[in-house]
Amino acid sequence: MSLVNINVHHVTRVEGHGNILVNATDGRLEEVRWEVPESPRLFEAMFRGRHYDDVQHIASRICGICSIAHSTASLQASEAALGVPVSQQTRLLRKLLFNAEILESHLLHAYCLAVPDFLGVGSVFPLLDTHRDVVVRAMKLKRLAYCMADLLAGRKTHPISCIVGGFSMLPDMEKLAMLRDAFVEALDDFKATVDLFKMITVPDFERETEYIALKDPDEYAFVSGDIASSDAGIVPIDDYLSVTNEFCVPHSTAKYTKNKRESYQVGALARFNLNHEQLLPLAKEASIELGLKAPCQNPYMITIAQVVETVHVAEDSIQLINRLLDSGVSPESEPREIHEGRGIGAVEAPRGILFHDYTYDENGILTHANCVIPTNQNHNNIQKDMEALVPTILDRSEDEIRLALEMLVRAYDPCISCSTHLLQVRFT
Amino acid sequence: MQEHSVLVVDDEPIVRESIRDWLTEAGYQVATAETGEQALQLVASRDFSVLVVDLRLPGKTGIKVLEAVKAERPWIRTIVITAYPSAETVQEARQLGAVDYLLKPFAPDNLERLIDDTLSSIPPEATVTTVEVPEAAPIPIAEAIEVKQTFAIDDIELRAVFDALVETMDVIGVVEKDGHFVFDHVKHFDDLRLDYDVTVHPPTRYLFPARESLLKLRLGDEPAAQPSISAPAQALFGVHPYDIKAIELLDEVFMATHSDPNYIARRRNTTIIGIDCLNPSPTAFAPSMGTHQTESGFDLLLTDIGSGFMVCVGSESGAKLLATHTAAREPSDSEIAAHRTRLEKAQLKYQVRLDVSRERLPKLLEDHYDDEYWGERSKTCLSCGSCIMVCPTCFCFDVKDEVSLDLKTGERIREWDGCMLTDFAKVAGGENFRLSKASRFRHRIFRKGKYVLERYGMVGCVGCGRCAIACLPDIASPAEAFNAIAQEAKAKAARRLIGKVASEDKLYTPRPAKLIRVEELTASEKMFEFALEDGSALGHHPGQFVEISILGIGEAPISVSSSPTRGDTFQLAVRNVGNVTRALHNLTEGATIGIRGPFGNGFPIESLEWKDLLLVAGGIGLFPLRSLIQYVLDRRDAFGRVTVLFGARSPQERLFLSELASWYERDDVEFHETVDNSDATWDGNVGVITTLIPEIGVSPAKTMSVIVGPPIMYRFVIGELKKKGLADEQIIMSLERQMKCGVGKCGHCQINGTYVCQEGPVFSLAELRNLREAV
Amino acid sequence: MKPQVAFFDFTCCEGCQLDALNIEGQDLADLLDSIDIVEFREVSTAKAEHYDIAFVEGSVSRESEIDRLKDIRNRADLVIALGACAHIGGINCLKNHFSMDEALTIVYGDDAKYYDTIPARPIHAVIPVDFNIPGCPINTAEFLRTIKELLLGKTPELPNHPVCVECKMAGNVCVFERGETCLGPVIRAGCNAICVTAGRHCWGCRGLVDDPNLDAQKDVLAKYGLTVEEIVEKFKIYNTYSEVAK
Repeated sequence: MSLVNINVHHVTRVEGHGNILVNATDGRLEEVRWEVPESPRLFEAMFRGRHYDDVQHIASRICGICSIAHSTASLQASEAALGVPVSQQTRLLRKLLFNAEILESHLLHAYCLAVPDFLGVGSVFPLLDTHRDVVVRAMKLKRLAYCMADLLAGRKTHPISCIVGGFSMLPDMEKLAMLRDAFVEALDDFKATVDLFKMITVPDFERETEYIALKDPDEYAFVSGDIASSDAGIVPIDDYLSVTNEFCVPHSTAKYTKNKRESYQVGALARFNLNHEQLLPLAKEASIELGLKAPCQNPYMITIAQVVETVHVAEDSIQLINRLLDSGVSPESEPREIHEGRGIGAVEAPRGILFHDYTYDENGILTHANCVIPTNQNHNNIQKDMEALVPTILDRSEDEIRLALEMLVRAYDPCISCSTHLLQVRFT
Repeated sequence: MQEHSVLVVDDEPIVRESIRDWLTEAGYQVATAETGEQALQLVASRDFSVLVVDLRLPGKTGIKVLEAVKAERPWIRTIVITAYPSAETVQEARQLGAVDYLLKPFAPDNLERLIDDTLSSIPPEATVTTVEVPEAAPIPIAEAIEVKQTFAIDDIELRAVFDALVETMDVIGVVEKDGHFVFDHVKHFDDLRLDYDVTVHPPTRYLFPARESLLKLRLGDEPAAQPSISAPAQALFGVHPYDIKAIELLDEVFMATHSDPNYIARRRNTTIIGIDCLNPSPTAFAPSMGTHQTESGFDLLLTDIGSGFMVCVGSESGAKLLATHTAAREPSDSEIAAHRTRLEKAQLKYQVRLDVSRERLPKLLEDHYDDEYWGERSKTCLSCGSCIMVCPTCFCFDVKDEVSLDLKTGERIREWDGCMLTDFAKVAGGENFRLSKASRFRHRIFRKGKYVLERYGMVGCVGCGRCAIACLPDIASPAEAFNAIAQEAKAKAARRLIGKVASEDKLYTPRPAKLIRVEELTASEKMFEFALEDGSALGHHPGQFVEISILGIGEAPISVSSSPTRGDTFQLAVRNVGNVTRALHNLTEGATIGIRGPFGNGFPIESLEWKDLLLVAGGIGLFPLRSLIQYVLDRRDAFGRVTVLFGARSPQERLFLSELASWYERDDVEFHETVDNSDATWDGNVGVITTLIPEIGVSPAKTMSVIVGPPIMYRFVIGELKKKGLADEQIIMSLERQMKCGVGKCGHCQINGTYVCQEGPVFSLAELRNLREAV
Repeated sequence: MKPQVAFFDFTCCEGCQLDALNIEGQDLADLLDSIDIVEFREVSTAKAEHYDIAFVEGSVSRESEIDRLKDIRNRADLVIALGACAHIGGINCLKNHFSMDEALTIVYGDDAKYYDTIPARPIHAVIPVDFNIPGCPINTAEFLRTIKELLLGKTPELPNHPVCVECKMAGNVCVFERGETCLGPVIRAGCNAICVTAGRHCWGCRGLVDDPNLDAQKDVLAKYGLTVEEIVEKFKIYNTYSEVAK
């Protein structure tokens, strides 16, 4: 009798805490479970009763990696609810700031969280000895993203100067120009990144699923647009609940979501599948070189899609900075009038579509909030992927099965502490 | 060169003759006198340019000599020398016109330089040679632009001056920010707001920045330090007179003695374009402090007269600037009238005034030291530091070592600090010498109204009103404090030295010294013997201290434990109590550390000679006292009866056991010990140190007592000594405070108006009676 | 042997851990010359039995976390709280103002019965802590300085004066002068007043100075137009766990 008993407690190299369980006897799979023992943060409760001036500050703390995404979604929700318009200048600055986050998060994931598996090491630290230039390049590009966020918002983790209606501080134009030059110079490093990932052999696994992402007619969407699905048509973001359909699972602090099928996927691959036509030229080239073609149903390729997106945002940032340098920036005054109401903010966080839904009273005090986190929306998909994958690899050693599953989870780049819910998937 | 004659007055032949020799070699004509009477006779009969006089003379004292000279020959520049400076004598000497004082012993260079400076400082009415004047001037222009003269220029011409400055240096001018005014880098004349009332932060931050590097360090087995000085060429454009006065104070503080290399470099590279304040801020009271107008301290001083500007020339470089870029002309009568009218109108706009003349402030404050006002007023103080951080006359600082991630290199930096912050007067052992908010609040007001004036001869508060704006509970304005306890005092001015001062480049740079020997004294105390790497002797006096540097960790003040009579090496006995001392305790023989100093005044050997000595050491008070004990034993014949008392907490905490044994053995020393807590090994006296004193025979008339120990000990021992009939002048102590520079600048060691590193650490009880914070 | 250093996270956003390594490649190499990172779940698969220094991010908000934290304390020579959540409880404590049942119901509705949570608290409420690195997120320079000081044998010390000192050093116009309110006067410095410099105000994420004059601060805030309730609301965001909010 052969037994397979895999119990990975707190998967490493993912953001947040997750467990993987597999039990099989004599080649027969009894249980495979993806479990997320993350403490409930209860942010929706924390927002209640706060003035709108504090809400972004708190929302940012949902996540340390995607604090800009949460901040942006939060501000958009507040502005929609309170009736506060934003200027074109603010829109440009926010897009540029968002690029910093996409860049840093994808680079962290690709270089530090995923690559070690492909090079057979436990972390990026030993690579300092064996692949020093790779590590130095990764840190350099990450620093570029941090510098951009510092310039625009004072700080990348928990940005400071983003406020309802715009920004409390404007970037120094000279430094912005220098940053643009640094990006231009770094395009070689992005190319080298693409070359590195060309050499990686991505596991072969496919499962058809629904892909959901924002879609904007004018650009590859990160902070604007409506909800698009690979199975269905376009849904305005105000109707997000009809798409996410959150439901609770007993013994699991994570809410599940589903739309047209049992589960759906969000994230870089979903965005690529839906919006690849709108990628900027260098990114399109990169996708070809990396062998990424839409529609792609292999979750292991999420990392590759992220690499393509980093090239896109690098090129996009240069363009945005040039526009800002041409138009210049000028101080704007704070919002004058607000009214009560409900508003939805939707952005594409690095890991996928993110919703913040706020309701305010006439004094600008928040009365109700709901947040749907990208990783929440992926938990179910991860579960289904595992269910499909494990039977096909049961003949391998336990170590190989475990690694394949860990790599699958890592490929999704989950951001588990964002999940205000816990995915307690315990298969026995 | 005109030959100058100098009169040197000192009763000690050695001193007199050495100074005479040095100065003669330097090219002066020198005469000497042994007593005050002799000196005055010589002064009456001959012409002298400079008088160098010791304060302590038999018969007519140095002060009396100064008084007489000031009355009869006021043009003679006087320099005081002394081994025992005190705040009172300094003030007195200054009031009598003394140009400076030198602490004995001093190097010949210092004296010579001082005399040079004194003789060559430009008197106020000096004129400057004719400057090139541009051709094609439609309006009559002055043939020579002279310092101290005032001209008229148009707006466009001022713009030209500004543009010219922008091309060659960083221009820092007043601009608007968040609805207020600040000094900031500025490139376009139109961004300037020359009509401002007050800036949030003072321009002094461009001469004394919030943070700057003092030394670059190399760490590791061969530690080394180099001065690190950064002084970009800059112009401060639009400085109000009260800020100019503040800069003059900082010049005095940082350049007059122990010249600070970083400040001097910056100061020399700074051009000051001042402007009269015509729109005072609501909290300002500059006229009450005499700082609303100034005749010195600037390169150019502007006044906006509506139709253009009046420009007063304050220096050669200002003259050149004006002559090169403008067609400055003699002002017309109406312009002169407009100038006067505007200044008069401006003065009327000030809303805050002192109810008492500022000269009376020091005495006023002194008389109200114990008022309840200080405690009451400071109740709402947040100890937030805002008042000191926006103050143009504040200059206290902290010094820290920072290192690189590879621990191979580092920097010693200084950062603003201040007496209003809670831990400012806290030492490594944990004691905080200004723990209560009331004491800190009072200290700040005393600095502003009394201590700075008495030490430097210039006002300590320029009445800018920034602190009143910055203080959230609204308790910071010195005007309110002064008015609240109104009375009278006097103040005086001092001299300017900018061009002539040589910077002490190595002021903050430690000299390398090697650790020769380590001896463990107790579980937490060790004795370290050092030799300076250049082979020279430290050259210290018993009671002085050094600043010991472990590069990358920091610096700490430690008294020298050995006598200078014991060879070229010196010993420091140290308790392991903080970061630096811990690192010191981890060193092995052969290690290199850094030494600055010796600093401080040392024990007053001259007043101990030929007297009976009662030397009392409590615990590690023996560390500094040992230097004196060894010295006395090495010159045994110069002293009368010698009695040494030592108290330790327990037998395990006795120090220098073999040395103690040798003291027991000598028959020319009476040595007694006691321990607070006994054990089986001890069969000597048990009890606190005061229990030893009653038994000691003391002839009060010819006894001097020196005590060193923990603060708590002093009170009780002094009590016993008083019972023995000793006067305050006969009781000498050494005090500890936090120190960060050793050269009277960082402010941490202040006891009231005294700097422990300068006037101390040795004080007589008589001196301390006037320092309320002392015991 | 180089100091063995580990990073752990509890209820947190993991921002502090990430910012700890937000440094240049060369600096990372220098750092790894001086220390070994033997456990850091988020970026490494390595594990260890004993740690010289354990950095702990996050507050404790579940029963299961208490035991895990105590286990770390037993295996570490030094435990250093990393960031506001570990140091003073941080944002997580905001939920403490609701009863736990109420909070769960708000989030999970009828399914609240499936979840458990306890009032969030800083780690010093559960184990003795040796040093703290405050802030939300931490200041990377302060984190690195602490490591350097430990490597040099110095005792790391945090500034004991309020943010106002650094705000003035930075040349800012005071927030109160701009017509807004700020907690700076009672909050510990060490952040270089970054939030004020970016045009906002101090929210108090670094915790109170040792001896804050809270009455005076409340008076000041009241003078500038805030009611006591509003003042307490401001402090609550980070300082719920301290005496302030009471």
